[in-house]
Amino acid sequence: MTEVVLAAVLGFLFAVGTFLVLRRDVVRVVWGVSIISQAANVYLITMSSLGGAAVPFVSAGGADAPATVDPLVQALVLTAIVIGFGTTAFALVLTYRTYEEHGTIDMLELADGTEEAETNGAVATDGGADE
Amino acid sequence: MSPPVAVIAPLLVVLFTAILTAVAHRSLRVQRALSVLGGVAYLGAVAYLFARVKAEGTLVYQLADWRAPYGVTIVADDLSVFMLAFGSFVGVAALAFAVVYVDEVGQRVSFHPLYHFMLVGVTGSFLTGDIFNLFVWFEVMLMSSYVLVVFYSGAEHTRAALQYVVLNLVGSALMLVAIGGLYATVGTLNMADMARRLADPAAFGITTLAPVLGLSVVLFVVFALKAGIVPFHWWVPAAYRAAPAPVSAALAGVVKKVGIYAIIRLYFTVFAPADLGELALPGFSGSGPLAYFGPVLLVMAIASILLGGVAAVNRDDIDDLLAYSSVGQVGFIVLPLALAAFGIVAGVDAPAPYGDVAGVSGLAVLGVTAALVYSLNHGLAKSALFLASGAIYDATGTSRLDRLGGLAERAPVLSGGFFVAAIGLVGIPPLIGFFGKFLVFDAAAVAGSELALGGALAGAILTITYVTRAWNRGFWGTPTEVVDATRTNRTQVAVVVVLAIAVVGVGVAFDPVLEAAIEGAAAALDTQGYVDAVNPDTTTSATSGGGHA
Amino acid sequence: MTKRRYGDDTTVIARTATRIVSPIIFVTAIALLLQGHNLPGGGFIAGVLTAAGFALIYIIFGIDYVQETLLHRDVEPAFGLPRPALAADYRAMFALGLLVAAGAGVVAMFFADTGFAFLGQHDWLYDVKPLFKFHFASAFAFDLGVYLVVVGGLLAIVSVVGAE
Repeated sequence: MTEVVLAAVLGFLFAVGTFLVLRRDVVRVVWGVSIISQAANVYLITMSSLGGAAVPFVSAGGADAPATVDPLVQALVLTAIVIGFGTTAFALVLTYRTYEEHGTIDMLELADGTEEAETNGAVATDGGADE
Repeated sequence: MSPPVAVIAPLLVVLFTAILTAVAHRSLRVQRALSVLGGVAYLGAVAYLFARVKAEGTLVYQLADWRAPYGVTIVADDLSVFMLAFGSFVGVAALAFAVVYVDEVGQRVSFHPLYHFMLVGVTGSFLTGDIFNLFVWFEVMLMSSYVLVVFYSGAEHTRAALQYVVLNLVGSALMLVAIGGLYATVGTLNMADMARRLADPAAFGITTLAPVLGLSVVLFVVFALKAGIVPFHWWVPAAYRAAPAPVSAALAGVVKKVGIYAIIRLYFTVFAPADLGELALPGFSGSGPLAYFGPVLLVMAIASILLGGVAAVNRDDIDDLLAYSSVGQVGFIVLPLALAAFGIVAGVDAPAPYGDVAGVSGLAVLGVTAALVYSLNHGLAKSALFLASGAIYDATGTSRLDRLGGLAERAPVLSGGFFVAAIGLVGIPPLIGFFGKFLVFDAAAVAGSELALGGALAGAILTITYVTRAWNRGFWGTPTEVVDATRTNRTQVAVVVVLAIAVVGVGVAFDPVLEAAIEGAAAALDTQGYVDAVNPDTTTSATSGGGHA
Repeated sequence: MTKRRYGDDTTVIARTATRIVSPIIFVTAIALLLQGHNLPGGGFIAGVLTAAGFALIYIIFGIDYVQETLLHRDVEPAFGLPRPALAADYRAMFALGLLVAAGAGVVAMFFADTGFAFLGQHDWLYDVKPLFKFHFASAFAFDLGVYLVVVGGLLAIVSVVGAE
């Protein structure tokens, strides 16, 4: 039963994410991307056959270990969350920087600016986001 | 027994270089020195690993002393070290260029740590034996490259980077989905263990392999995106133009090759033995992922060659031309891979020395060898060209062909380097490019595929056209105003010349290179050898892990 | 020099709540860090919590409060942009954390207990009778590095973006 519900939730999340990625507003696109990556995480969790088994923590000494769900996928998801966190933060800062440079965060208006900015990009250096 | 440190030595050296340059961010002088020294030490570590692998065969390192398939395994085999060897050379050459090219403020901001972290990701991707770990190294590499692409953070750069970042984030999510699905289907993340289980699913209690085909397609899309194969190529020109020249050189010369490596490793080593039953798709025959992969990749490769070549012909900007050219050249790299897939499915043999490798189709060995040699050629030549373009931009303030002209007169050495790398791309003997193209044509001929032959021929002609055009407009003729005032930087020119010499030298002394490439191809196709080396034995007691209670 | 008051633009409720909540946040973060090697917790989550605590203080009292009254530092321009001096310190912290985490992995290569393996792990249980048992895991060194990386990285982002 859990799997069916999760499958429906996953379908919904991927749909919402895809919808947002296709919007014109860059902030929405970033939200969409982060929803898609969260959906991928939820998907990973469902791979551990959630059959009502216990959380994968063993009491001190490891005695009397109950049947647990697969702990590996949880480790994977943790890693993926950390990575997703970093990239989302970067994408948001980049969006802000784009807004500063172009005065817009509309994808179509950004694309329209291509011709006028075709000057090899002036070498104006400054930090931007560097983490 | 202490594990072979040689395997992780390159990884550790470049990781610590990255960290130490970050720690030393207050002094540019120290940071530069650390960066360059670290680069040299990295080359040394790679050379040592290369020698060790050639002498002793595949080396395996179990991180944290957790045995495969439980822990993360680092594997250095002939394929990995081949890619790593030229990748590190190109990477460090571009770094040396960057030291004199990127301005001081830029270098102080964070160029060195980011660049080295990108190399960390590349090195890790080449060496890892675990599919989730591959994802993590990809992310390390990509995160650094995101920032490097937007390094100048101007209008043009932010737009290109936004596209690049969003696209790759979606790609990463897809990769995660594919990895999760594979884990659910096969029950392991270790590549060797996965190959073993795919070859004999019944022995491991795997009921169905049906999802593997779809998941492998998703993975392939992700790798094709990284490698910039048509139809996943459209981020390439904007990103390459936005990035500083040494970064473009590293992206085209090294990072792209990671996508190629992942395709070779996963498709030919891991997925190849899987029997998925007869494909129920019109136009495909055969029973493995390769049967699907071959025709699809063939179409994509030819589309890349033609589209990249045609688009490169009428570009007015050298960087633009090089970016589209690299779309086309990647087509040349994956074309023989498609033929190799045909070779395995149909069991086509090839003459010696490719047919001498026991147990696999000779065409497959020939195809993968061609892909490796072409990767080497493209890695050296294209990075030399990007760096030359950077040096020209630095000296003249433009990279537009209509404003350049007569460079050969004003900057003869730089122009010479550009010329050698360019004809390396075209494939004039005795340069490495000739052997690359020759092997691609050879594979097409052995496969008897007129389509591949025709595509490659058309691509070769297109390459000659755009290279000639760039040379005629940019380098011959009377010097224009901007060119007249040219002052090139000696170090920049020296790096270009070193890479150009490598293009010549590797071609002149081609025998050992070919031997290494054939060994690499044989390693890629030898699934059993890979499994035996890693030895993911689950039958003995659970873990031999260190102190874990 | 007139004495500046910080956080005048926030409500008294927010300021008081922050005074009470932030010590709890930091203690919880440290507890999570210390138990990370065998219970839920660890460097990342502790780091995020610490960064969240600092972010709260920045929002309520402003970054200048931390910088000037707690650390006696001035806001100095870097690369022509007015950036809090703390941003540079956070970057140093980030780099140091990386060094600690990677260093912990390398140190393990020199001890038999960890199988001479990079990132190898070992743990020691000291029985300090009759008071308590002290459990030390080498994984803690790695966790500490991760903690520094996360706190440094996040606060650097917050302070740089917040300054713009």
